[in-house]
Amino acid sequence: MYIGYGLVLLGSIFLFLGSLGIYRMPDVYNRLQAGTKATTLGAMSLILGVGFIEPEWLIKTLFIVIFIAIANPLSSHALARAAYRANLTPFMKKKMDAYKSEFHQEKKED
Amino acid sequence: MKKLLVLLLLAVVGYSLITAMMGVKFGENRLGDPQDEKTVSAYYLNNTTQKLSVSNVITAIVVNYRGLDTLGEVSVLFLASLGLGSILYRKHKEGEEEVAILKPSSQLLQAGSKLIFPAILMLGAYVFIHGHLTPGGGFQGGAIIATGFLLMMMAYQDYRVSHSVLVWVESLAGITFAGIGMWGLLLGNTFLENFLPIGTLNNLFSGGIIPIIYIAVGFKVAAELTGVLDTLLNIKDKH
Amino acid sequence: MMFEAIVIIILAVILLAAAVYAVMQKDLLYAVIATGVISLILSVFFFIMQAPDVALTEAAIGIALTTIVFIITIRNTSRREDEVPMDHEPDRNENDN
Repeated sequence: MYIGYGLVLLGSIFLFLGSLGIYRMPDVYNRLQAGTKATTLGAMSLILGVGFIEPEWLIKTLFIVIFIAIANPLSSHALARAAYRANLTPFMKKKMDAYKSEFHQEKKED
Repeated sequence: MKKLLVLLLLAVVGYSLITAMMGVKFGENRLGDPQDEKTVSAYYLNNTTQKLSVSNVITAIVVNYRGLDTLGEVSVLFLASLGLGSILYRKHKEGEEEVAILKPSSQLLQAGSKLIFPAILMLGAYVFIHGHLTPGGGFQGGAIIATGFLLMMMAYQDYRVSHSVLVWVESLAGITFAGIGMWGLLLGNTFLENFLPIGTLNNLFSGGIIPIIYIAVGFKVAAELTGVLDTLLNIKDKH
Repeated sequence: MMFEAIVIIILAVILLAAAVYAVMQKDLLYAVIATGVISLILSVFFFIMQAPDVALTEAAIGIALTTIVFIITIRNTSRREDEVPMDHEPDRNENDN
């Protein structure tokens, strides 16, 4: 019961930090960084906390947590890749681009 | 002159709409007090759980009391997908290739989609099988399943859903719906009459014909929407 | 009760803003995303007003399927409203070479 409330509190703190990060960060990649990690952990612990408060829902909430753990990083990966394809430049001057070589290989294979 | 005519026409239409809508009291309870036994909402709320043993009253209204409307809705969706297909379909000519509308996606996305796809299908099936117990139903479940297929189509460029399978699923589901209605006409008095035992409240096998109809509607909607998406994603063009 | 009213008012303002944006925007891709936002907020509204069935429908069809169908159509035709749609226009918004 109290574990559940603690988890909900933790989750809402992480979600708040994530939204703050989305608001404060300078460019797409940094915003994704804040928006993915913080909101994944926040949403997972919030939903798990709901499951602990209402023990009947625990199995369903566990399924939702697993689903979020798979889907949230995937979606932000796709977003980051789309941003790279659209040539959005990072905020700082980029010194190295490890993805570039692999990306051009992919282009050749098409 | 033309603009004046348009304005005049608009004024006439607006005036007639206003006079028609004057009598309707917006925001008031037009069906009357739900406690009043004579109103239709009171009938639905009081009798659904006893007479049909369906806990989701909305499902009972949509499938049982207004079942014919649902059949009409399903046929509207069928006509829409038919129209789209007949507009976009073209025979494969010489020198034409399928243009890849979507770009190839990364390996991570492909593996992840493969992982999530069965879960989405299961969620859709859950939503339409439990339509009479929890919120949801055939349309919602079918749309969820179609989004699952959409995910696979976007992750894998050459992912194809066989159209003959879709056609068979769609037709069989439609025939099931109409056939259950005709069966009620044969046994009882009216189209879509309930002829199965209604079971006990809150059980999976309860509600008479409602779960069967909703499963049929779910398959039908899923097949139609998947077919629409597949048609849209595979437009042939000269390359 | 008070809190719920405040949430509903904020959401309604965002809904109206998104609707006006979707009408005024000349770039159709942005307009489609705005209609997706409209569907999202409508779905929340349906849920608040205790119609979870309609909320599920709106979420599955309005947010996911309609948006995707519009985006595919935009890719096949033209992205801007005043552009003349052409048959075999080369890829427009791709700077990824």
